[in-house]
Amino acid sequence: MIALKNVALTAGKRTVLEGIDATFERGAFTAVLGANGAGKTTLLRGIAGLRAPAEGSIRIDGNDVHALPATQRALRVAMIAADEVVLEGLTVREVVATGRFPHHRWWEWNERPHDREAVARALSDVDLVDFARRPIETLSSGERQRAWIALGLAQETPVLLLDEPTSHLDVRAAHDVLRLLRGLCASGKTIVCVLHDVNEAAAFADRVALIGDGGIIAAGTCDTVLERSNLERAYGIAMERVPMPDGSVRLFVPDETIGGGEDRC
Amino acid sequence: MVRLAALLLLALCASAAALLIGGTALGGGEILHALMHPGGAGVVDRIVWDLRLPRVCIAAVVGACLALCGALLQGMLRNPLVDPYLTGVSAGSAAAIAVALLIGVAPAGLPAIGFGAGLGAAILVAALARRGSGIDSNRLILAGVSLSTLFAAIVTLAIVRAQSSDFAGAVVAWLAGSMAGRDWHDLWTVAPYAGAGVVLATWSVPALNALRVGDVRARSAGVDIDRSQWIILAASSLLAASSVVLAGMVGFIGLIVPHIARRLVGSDARVMLPACALLGAALCIAADAICRWIVAPAELPIGVLLAFIGVPAFLYLYLRQGVPR
Repeated sequence: MIALKNVALTAGKRTVLEGIDATFERGAFTAVLGANGAGKTTLLRGIAGLRAPAEGSIRIDGNDVHALPATQRALRVAMIAADEVVLEGLTVREVVATGRFPHHRWWEWNERPHDREAVARALSDVDLVDFARRPIETLSSGERQRAWIALGLAQETPVLLLDEPTSHLDVRAAHDVLRLLRGLCASGKTIVCVLHDVNEAAAFADRVALIGDGGIIAAGTCDTVLERSNLERAYGIAMERVPMPDGSVRLFVPDETIGGGEDRC
Repeated sequence: MVRLAALLLLALCASAAALLIGGTALGGGEILHALMHPGGAGVVDRIVWDLRLPRVCIAAVVGACLALCGALLQGMLRNPLVDPYLTGVSAGSAAAIAVALLIGVAPAGLPAIGFGAGLGAAILVAALARRGSGIDSNRLILAGVSLSTLFAAIVTLAIVRAQSSDFAGAVVAWLAGSMAGRDWHDLWTVAPYAGAGVVLATWSVPALNALRVGDVRARSAGVDIDRSQWIILAASSLLAASSVVLAGMVGFIGLIVPHIARRLVGSDARVMLPACALLGAALCIAADAICRWIVAPAELPIGVLLAFIGVPAFLYLYLRQGVPR
């Protein structure tokens, strides 16, 4: 379980989030939603131990992530960042094998049988076995996203954090990635995932944390959090909520908010 | 391993050829005999042990240091355009040596001054690039380029102020890069620092491999980025300063050899760093031998030769086969 207690996080000298009290249950898929600049990535980096909180504590299974040595932290939580430059020519397998770093001491340079098994399992889980020898830059956006997820899986941590894994993906590729994450939850992983599309969150997440106004506006099940006033407060725009026959909800921006409805397709 | 063995063979072949080249014509048998009997007092023994062998060893160390340094910095910054002099080492050394020559410091003291100033410049650049407990890549590049420009201006000012062709010639010769006049003593003086650079480079191998996927991902995978950056920067500064003391400014090797090595053996630092060292050594030994031979009895500055031959060759490779990896 991830527990945040009275956490304040800063970016430079600016306080982005403060007074955060939240828990992320083991084995749950939690979507973090909010407007651009609300502090979603900052929150994720705080949980990942990549940004120390200015106040409060962030604990994973009782361990303060910022008090742990880097490799010990990396055995408990993996963060998957999407937009970062990589060295050209790296193969998918080399990328995924990077996830084995915390399982080695600095002088242990060579892969052991368990490392090879973990990398093979991660590639298999994201269905990229046939792409193992391909340079990462030759993959499509969706395939590359799966490779980053495989890197996190090879790290063999109980917690996986993802920063906008469906950005730049088409509907099918985004669906594949989210279905993969759901499957990982089913196998016991705790997933915390920043998303931009509220409908993706409504369709795939167990729980939602809605970020805005320098804190968490609401957190809980999709049904309780994704309601009109919360969403308007988070995004500054009115959204309609439509119940679906299966009990889930879908959200859309109504015509009167967009305007000029007759000319649109 | 096969490719590393091939590169080792290449370096040995370059060494053998370099031992054969010189003002006095010596046969392979004579050189081999002298090598097998160190301490001999004959003319051939002295030529081999006092002139040619130290020259070959110095060229090997210079080439290996520069290539390793380039590989470390390019790997840390994930920027293929970075070269060993980014950290201001060479420019700092050049400025210090120019000023030392201007005020009449004895030639014997110049290497130590160059080494100290080079490391000092690297520390200054690192201090300017510091952000939090780590190093900001963009600030490192900006600080390196800015301070190098400032140091270059100091060299120019020193040349203008001196108004002496001898002084200007000495500085320009140093800037063009040459191993003329270096001996075992110079090599032993530099060896501990170059050795420390190699040890630190070896220490950074796992972090360098992880850094290939980006700083945030590497940090998430458990790499202590701040510490790794300082280790890599210390290693590269020691290696660059060692090569600068031995040969002045030798361009091209630190920029291009890592590209060629990555193409030959991939980017895995466990293999790429030794490949860089061997290839850099082979290239520098061969280039130095050609410099001694092509306009004998005079010598061509190695930096000039490397630019004239190496750059077109690299551009041909680059344009024909795409960006080397």
